[in-house]
Amino acid sequence: MTDAQQFEAFLKNYQDLVFSTAMRLLANRAEAEDVTQEVFLKAYERFGELSETSTAGGWLRTVATNLSLNHLTRYRSRWSFFSELFSRNAGDDEEMPLEFAAPENVEETLAAADRRTLVEQALHKLPPAQRVPLVLYHMEGLSYEEIATKLGVSLGKVKTDIFRGREALRQKLAPIKESALDIMA
Amino acid sequence: MNVKHDNELGARIDRELKSLPLLAAPPTLAPRVMALVASRALAPWYRRAWQTWPVALQAASLVVLLAMFGGLCFAGWQLSHAASATLAAQKVGGAFSVVSAVWRTLGVLGDSAAQVIRHLGSGFIWALVALGLIGYTLLLGLGSCCYRLAYTRR
Repeated sequence: MTDAQQFEAFLKNYQDLVFSTAMRLLANRAEAEDVTQEVFLKAYERFGELSETSTAGGWLRTVATNLSLNHLTRYRSRWSFFSELFSRNAGDDEEMPLEFAAPENVEETLAAADRRTLVEQALHKLPPAQRVPLVLYHMEGLSYEEIATKLGVSLGKVKTDIFRGREALRQKLAPIKESALDIMA
Repeated sequence: MNVKHDNELGARIDRELKSLPLLAAPPTLAPRVMALVASRALAPWYRRAWQTWPVALQAASLVVLLAMFGGLCFAGWQLSHAASATLAAQKVGGAFSVVSAVWRTLGVLGDSAAQVIRHLGSGFIWALVALGLIGYTLLLGLGSCCYRLAYTRR
């Protein structure tokens, strides 16, 4: 197996993990794809080390998180002023079809898949100020302090944003509370 | 909102988010990355990242850079102690004489402009300023319209 083939296998093994991390932080498919590509180009430069370590997944996730946060702070803030002139009021929140990685258990029910799609879409619809700390806390397993450091905000703001994010998620998912989600107590 | 409710909600959201499966990466991603990797592999060594250079070249480049740095430090030390330091200072002063000539010319132009303004009167100048402002505002409005036309999603 050549180096290129080994890297391709590595890429296919981890691409869903990296893409999911970027997608959940950025909530934009094209941007998440760009970030994923950048992560793997960095990985290629260090493939010698990564191919031999068992913590490659963790490394990829950390790099994907950092690049996504950089993307949010550096690039998006430049055009957000203009884009928000249109997107918020125009009601053009696109219902992006979400594709999940093929489930290992083929007997997974349609209801569960629908529920997950709804949760995923509700998460994507949250404003970045709430979504990013929520994802970092619940999905990336970072502590409040680590999130505050990464985002360069106060600890209080992180706690408030996570609280608001949870509440917003609960409200967005309230219509499907009858289903298996049942977030409302 | 009580603490119990918050904790319960936090735990349920945590469970729900953690149970989300991975999203499938677009099928175009892997070929895109592999094409970029292939193009990088074909690039000559000096156009690639330093970390990917052959070890011998990395060592050689490090030695060259250290030699250059050392040479620069040595040259600086020699210059500051050389007898010809005053000569060098004179040369630098000569170069700056060009700058002072340009400054004098700008001064003359400024005086001429001031005299013209005095002759024309302040009313004319204010009218010019107002015209400039109106033009700028129109340009800004037109730019915004063009931006909206070009980027509004249909």
